[in-house]
Amino acid sequence: MSAALARLTSHGTDRRAAADEFRARHHGGVIGYVGADVPVEYITAAGLLPLRLSGTPGAPSAAGDRCLGTGLDPAARSVLTRLLDGDFGPLDGVVVSRDCEASLRLFYALRELRRVDPALALPPVHLVDVLHLPHRTTTRYVRAKLGQLRATVETWAGRSIGDSALADAITAHDRLRELLTGAAALRRSHPARLTGTQALTVVAATTALPVDRATALLEALLTEADQLPEHEGLRVFLTGSPHDTDHVYTALEDSGLLVVGEDHDWGDLLFLRRTAAPTEAALAERYQYNGPAAPRASIRARAAHTRRAARECGAQALVSYARIRDDAPGWDYPAQREATGLPSVRLSRQPYGALGDEAAEALAALAGPLRVPAEPAR
Amino acid sequence: MSAARLASASAATAHQRQWFADLHQEVAAGGDLALVNADAPQEIFRAMGIPYVVNQWWSSIVTAKRRAQDYLGLLRERGYPDDSEQYSSIPLASAFDPDPANAPWGGLPRPTIVLTETTGDASRKIFDIWDTQPGVSFYPLESAAENDVPARWWELMPRDWERAVGSDRLDLMTGELEGLIRFLEQTTGRVFSETRFAEVMDLVNEQQEWNRRTRDLIARARPCPLPVNDSIPSVMIPQWHRGTTWARDAARAFHDEVAERVSTGAAVCPEERARLMWIGRGLWFDLDFYRRFEQSHGAVFVWSMYLAIAADGYLRYGGDPLRALAARFAAFSDQLYTPPWSAEWYVKEARHHGVDGVVHLVSEDARGSYFTTRALEAAGIPVLELHADNVDARSADGDALTRTVGDWLDRRVRAGD
Repeated sequence: MSAALARLTSHGTDRRAAADEFRARHHGGVIGYVGADVPVEYITAAGLLPLRLSGTPGAPSAAGDRCLGTGLDPAARSVLTRLLDGDFGPLDGVVVSRDCEASLRLFYALRELRRVDPALALPPVHLVDVLHLPHRTTTRYVRAKLGQLRATVETWAGRSIGDSALADAITAHDRLRELLTGAAALRRSHPARLTGTQALTVVAATTALPVDRATALLEALLTEADQLPEHEGLRVFLTGSPHDTDHVYTALEDSGLLVVGEDHDWGDLLFLRRTAAPTEAALAERYQYNGPAAPRASIRARAAHTRRAARECGAQALVSYARIRDDAPGWDYPAQREATGLPSVRLSRQPYGALGDEAAEALAALAGPLRVPAEPAR
Repeated sequence: MSAARLASASAATAHQRQWFADLHQEVAAGGDLALVNADAPQEIFRAMGIPYVVNQWWSSIVTAKRRAQDYLGLLRERGYPDDSEQYSSIPLASAFDPDPANAPWGGLPRPTIVLTETTGDASRKIFDIWDTQPGVSFYPLESAAENDVPARWWELMPRDWERAVGSDRLDLMTGELEGLIRFLEQTTGRVFSETRFAEVMDLVNEQQEWNRRTRDLIARARPCPLPVNDSIPSVMIPQWHRGTTWARDAARAFHDEVAERVSTGAAVCPEERARLMWIGRGLWFDLDFYRRFEQSHGAVFVWSMYLAIAADGYLRYGGDPLRALAARFAAFSDQLYTPPWSAEWYVKEARHHGVDGVVHLVSEDARGSYFTTRALEAAGIPVLELHADNVDARSADGDALTRTVGDWLDRRVRAGD
């Protein structure tokens, strides 16, 4: 394995390691965040480390289940449980976005727990309410919310965020997005040079590392691309729920599939859109028009995106994986299936971080007739 | 004396049936019809004279007529979920009903406009599917959330709504409403008159003031003078017609009838021994449930959210009328479902009504129940969480629900009798 890929895989798996290093060097300064709609540029610009919070499939989540109820995406319940358990280490603050209902409910729970149970000593929490309708009024609102976030992060950091520091952070995170796009091409090549699991883990690593370290490792990975081994499998495009760990990808690829693309924001959607200029106005538009993620985009927009992305990946089949209590993907699927025209399988009400009992049979039924060489991506 | 069915409930139901029959004729003649979510700004449609049906009201009718499972089946046949936001999705199946003439109340006429806020993860998807139906246009409204809010919203909302809701949300929602008005002007050819709109807003405030007086009468009355399943049509049918003189007058008639009952000592249950609060949506597939514990336990449901939110959740005075309307809806569901607002308000209402216990209907959805239940228990009020969906009877065993409430009444509410 390439050295860069090994280090990225390590940070994608042990997501706390870089934060612990950062804390030790800077005496704190780690900000947890929930959701791809958090403009991490402000956290970077303030000299703090943004750490995207993830759950732990299979681990007990009783505290999160109790506070949030079992009607909510189990990934969010797991994140809350981990926050209550102090699993992420000391955090100077938590920023939560409105990327889905589960995130919003997680924010409300944190805010209320701080109010009614201060003995829990939860970190301060801030909601950044980035909305997505394509209206000028929404842009103005998102600008206001970004201004609020800037002020909160300044308070947490104990210093102001200058315009030039913000511009530098925007440029740095866009450079990272550009490199992630290059890495994504490695899984789409014929033959693929990264598995879907590896690609997902690389993306995850970049949400746990300081942006400059993530950038350096990605540059090294791309330099070493020719030395990466080749991977085979039925090329599938994965739609549906986001995956904050690699468990499901591993299970899919163990069954002979190769996940060449996805439309969730722990994967390709995280870095699809760039910021048009290093300004706060452009940043607001970047996050407003980020997506199209399942919980916030229209069925029509999702279907068009899935069709385009699956073609670009050279996917031979479509797999829709919807976690139990993740409501949006089930409504998207009929239009996505029709739009892509690909053989497809729908895995509904799946357990967090795993495939349900019927999944293996359904995947085998999908793969059986399709064991033919894929066409190069168009 | 035991209370008979409220005349205001019967009158409201009769009015609704006639209105719906007339609506069928209007739409058949080519008129516009809007289908709007319950927490959408219906006052704009009222002011412009565009008839509308409330999505959740239609869902309650389908469910009460025992057709919910048929309709969920129609969604399932088309590959859509039958276990996601059923309260909002059941009306969508009306568009797929192969036999609309035999649907409840003659069926839902095909809307030309559908409107919802983009709350949750599935609401806008349901309306996206409406948008693909021939002749239907969908207008989505943003739904915004606030980072920090003052807890005692009900004290601020009538006159200090700018502080309660927050200026950013109000700027956004006012802009959204201006966009909606332009959309409706263009699609229907109808006019939005500021003068007419101000009248509508005044009528709504008058109507909710009557509801507030009625709520306070019931809170103070011992014994409870009316069954909660009578109060629901008496308050909610006029609520869906708010902004009309009929609705304002219906709210007043409801108040006067309750006042008369209080003055004569009418009682739902002459042997009232426990006053109960029902938190959650109406149990539309079994409305008799609310009265099932009167004879066995002397337990009476004295509270549902429908009258209480009418009393506290709608009043908006002063300022620009469109911004005041924005203030009514920018945070409407927060009042019911988001802590600290929801939790603090339910405790306030429980104390106001002197309840002995709370039955909290908890659906398997995102809204959760923990903070409301916790706040009530912390205030010394016993809470029973009933896990069921209010329109999807698959989630509930009616006999088991009855046993659960009965056992809880014996064990926690009346244990000290």
